[in-house]
Formats: sequence, structure tokens, C-alpha cells
Amino acid sequence: MDKLASLLHMTPAIFWMVVKVVIVFSAIMLLASVWTWVERRGSAMIQDRIGPNRAAIFGKIRIIGLAQLLADGIKFFFKEDLVPEDANKGLFWLAPFLAFVPALIGFAVIPFGRSFESGGVTYYLSVLDPGNGMGLLYPMAIGGMAVYGVLLAAWSSNNKWSILGGMRASAAMVSYEIGMSLAVVTIFMTTGGYDPAEVIKTQGHLPWAWNIVRQPIGFIVFFTCMFAETNRLPFDFAEGESEIVAGFNTEYGSMKFSLLALAEYSHLMTASALVATLYFGGWQVPFVQNPTVMLSVASFLLKMLFFAWVFVWIRWTLPRFRYDQLMHLGWKVMLPLSMANLVFHAWRMSQGH
Amino acid sequence: MGVIVKKVELSWLDRTYVWPVMKGMSITFGHFIRNLFTTTPNRYTIQYPEMKKEIPEGYRGLHELKRFEDGAIKCVACFMCQEACPARCISIEAEEFSDLNITQGFEEKRPAKFSIDMLRCIYCGMCEEACPKDAIWLRNDYEVAAYDRLSMKYGKWDLMNTYAEADGKERLSQDPTPSVPRRTIVM
Ligand code: SF4
Ligand code: SF4
Repeated sequence: MDKLASLLHMTPAIFWMVVKVVIVFSAIMLLASVWTWVERRGSAMIQDRIGPNRAAIFGKIRIIGLAQLLADGIKFFFKEDLVPEDANKGLFWLAPFLAFVPALIGFAVIPFGRSFESGGVTYYLSVLDPGNGMGLLYPMAIGGMAVYGVLLAAWSSNNKWSILGGMRASAAMVSYEIGMSLAVVTIFMTTGGYDPAEVIKTQGHLPWAWNIVRQPIGFIVFFTCMFAETNRLPFDFAEGESEIVAGFNTEYGSMKFSLLALAEYSHLMTASALVATLYFGGWQVPFVQNPTVMLSVASFLLKMLFFAWVFVWIRWTLPRFRYDQLMHLGWKVMLPLSMANLVFHAWRMSQGH
Repeated sequence: MGVIVKKVELSWLDRTYVWPVMKGMSITFGHFIRNLFTTTPNRYTIQYPEMKKEIPEGYRGLHELKRFEDGAIKCVACFMCQEACPARCISIEAEEFSDLNITQGFEEKRPAKFSIDMLRCIYCGMCEEACPKDAIWLRNDYEVAAYDRLSMKYGKWDLMNTYAEADGKERLSQDPTPSVPRRTIVM
């Protein structure tokens, strides 16, 4: 680490920025595409199947099904890129990017490791340094943007099933956003700030001081809402083969489709990073007061990947909700719960805890 | 009269959602772990080209025209199977054979041509049921595929040799010359 840092002294600050951006975003994209594999193989194992294991490089090297990723990538690349006749061409092209980019850049403020000091300069392991004034409001806001991608994709493709999917997704998003925000506000309140670095620092290194223990209700609300937010089962209302053909991406094919799929997984990664940061102490290593930088990064990655796996795990455990059940759960259960959570913690704080 | 469906009473614990979800997750995780430590060949799925299913006795697969030990066809061209076939995919052309026909007054028949269109065959086994001579069997080969329609029309010699390799018999391509009347040979 010291050698690396001394290398950093010689380069301008912008270099450090570029390195962070490249590493973080390419890592997220890589993880997102690997997670499609995890999803397929994991679901297969959960359901006593085998999953994709046939694709092989040169007909030999199967690398436990990972070659399927390459095959899928190549396939998507060479497929014909169809645009429906009456689609709004511009928006149809724009929509996958609008879905993908917010999912990705939401990660920008999340610290993925301990900051380290070298030569009087502190280097922060997050794309945007703490104290940028946006803090955790930024991923919340950006996450809310993601629905534009879905809605635009649905709307521009001029297909009634797509638009139904898009409408349902945005309705779900709106109803869950509030409960989620209130849960996060509770954390801001008890932390006394909304900077992720601060949130992590106040949680400390002891697992029983993490927010999951202090606000279990908040965690349940937040995590549930994250499923609706990322449009994943059991709340995947943008899609639904049985009701609305394929949902918002009915008319999409080739690279645009894979971009939409990748957006979902990037969103999942960002969501799990948020869960890890807000409720599980971010990069804090349990019982280690001052972890090394590497250890903290590993700890964060482990937490993030664990929650990404929980997303997959839940998807293959629970049946889908019906639309009215979703609305019921969102407005009549999640919202009151998070409100009660907020009020309870406000009361506790007023009692001087 | 309507049927009264008994409603399942959920306990308060079940109504919290969280507990049943955890129960469900523990079940799926159990499956996940079990499969994680099971090698692929030991899982339920049969990995087809490498592994094959044990075919049960009496399976109705590709047909075989049975033969006697000397290689003569058992079929007597009685057309029963052709009549019985619901898919109408068997076509037979009969012929008389054997010099003994003339000298000893035996009349022996056999198919000169016997063809089954495997694309139309539904593998119902009616031909096997109908055959008075037990001359046509449906056996265990289910990998019937070809690149063109014509090669799915199995002729007499194709049908007589379908299981030659599997049974370790030699492939036949012509009828043996009969020396004794077939009828005296115990079937
Ligand atoms: S199996 Fe059925 S369909 Fe096929 S040839 Fe025999 S009788 Fe006809
Ligand atoms: S029923 Fe048997 S003996 Fe008669 S023609 Fe068919 S295969 Fe030959």
C-alpha cells in the first residue's frame, strides 16, 4: 500500500480520480455480468437443476459454466438490432442507457474501503470524496431516476404490454420509495448526518452497534423496498411473462436488451452496497479496530456480495406478489412500519439515547 | 352444492411475513448447499449426451424386424401391421419365395419391400400387437433423427438391422436361400 501511495504522490490528483472511476465502475459492470451467471447457476442449484454448463471455449474449457457469459455476450452482439416500426426511435435508443447509467453511478458516493493517509494527503476509497454535500441523498435520488429508464423503454416501444409493465414498475417504485426514504431518514437522524463515511464511522466495528441491531424494522423495510426499487422478484412488476408478454423490454433485443439486463444487475449491486453501508457497517471489519485498507475493502466486498446473493436467493424462494398485494404491502405495511420506526427513534433520541 | 374449502388459519408468526420467508429461505438454502456439494453426474438431471436414461423393458422405440437364426426374416407379409397402424406409415410389398413352394407345395410369403416412415410413426406399438408372427418389435432406441426426410423412411434392410450392432449380430443385406420349409423350425 505504501508503495502504491508513493506512486500516487507523483501523479496529479486527477489521476487518482480516474483510477477510482475506472476501477469502481468496471468492477461493478464485471460483477453485474458475473451475477447473471450466479443467478442462473444459483437458481439451478436451489431448484435441483444444473443450469447452463454447456458453453465451452474451443469446445473444451467450460469453467463451470462461466463460458456461457462469453457466449451470451457474443450472441447479443451479433444479433439483429430490431426497432419496432412505430417506436419513438430516439427514446427507444436512449432508454437502455437511462436505465443503465443511474444504476451504475449510484455507487459513486459509497466508500468501499477505509481511507488512508500518505504524505499528508488523505485518499478516500470512494469515487466522490466524503464531504461532497450530497452524501446518501445522491444514490437515493439517482435510484429514483432508474425508473425513467424502465418507463421510457416501455413507452417508446409502442407496445401496450410494455407500457403496462412500465406503468406498474413506476407505480411500484413510487409506493416503495417513500417507505424506503423514511427508513433511511431514520438512519440520518440517529447518525446526525447523511454522509456515508459518517454513517459508517458511527456504526463502529462492533457488530452489535451496527444499524441492523439498532433498527431491525428499518432494515426490513429498507431491504424489502430495495427489491421493489431494483425491480426484482418478488416485486418484478415491470416484467411478467404470464400477464404482459415480457414486460417493459418486450420489444428489445440484441445489445439493447443485454444493457437493460445489465442495468438490473448493476442496480442490484448498488442496492446491496447501500444495504451494507447503511445497516452493516460498510467497510468495517467486525471486532477489528483499525483494519488495513485491503482488509476493509475485502470486508466491504464480502458484505456486498452476500447481499447480492440474498437478492438472488430471495428471488428463487418467494413467489411473486399480485399487483394489489404489492400495493397493499407498500402503502399499508411498509409505510406505517417505517413511520413508526422513525417516530420510535425520534422518541428515543429525545430521551437522550 | 358448493365445496367448502377449509381455510388455513395462519398464526400471528406466519402473518408477519418475515418468519415464513426465513423458513422458505432455509429450505432453498438447504437445496443449494446440497447441490453445491453434489457432483454434476449425481444430481437429478441426466446430462443427456454423456449420460443416458435406463430404458425400461417394453419401451416403444425404434422398430426391429426380427429374423430367424439363419438370417431369414420372420415376417410373413400378412399385412396385419399395415392394417393396424393408425398412422398409416407401414407399406409392404409381398413376394413368394422358396423353391420348395413348387416341389413340396408349401406357400411361403415374405416382404419384398417393407418400409416404415419414421416421421409419421407415432410409436404406438400397434404393429407389434397386431403381428401374428412376433416379427416386428419396438425396442429401446429413441434416438431417431436424420438430416432429411428421405432417410427417415426405413426400408426392409434398415429395419432388419436396426439393432444388429446392439445385439452383436451381423448386418444382413440379403435373404438367405431357404433349404427347409420354415414351418418346421420352432419359432
Ligand atoms: S408403432 Fe404404431 S404408428 Fe408406428 S408403425 Fe407401428 S403401428 Fe404404425
Ligand atoms: S404383422 Fe408381422 S408378419 Fe404380418 S406383415 Fe406385419 S410384421 Fe409381417
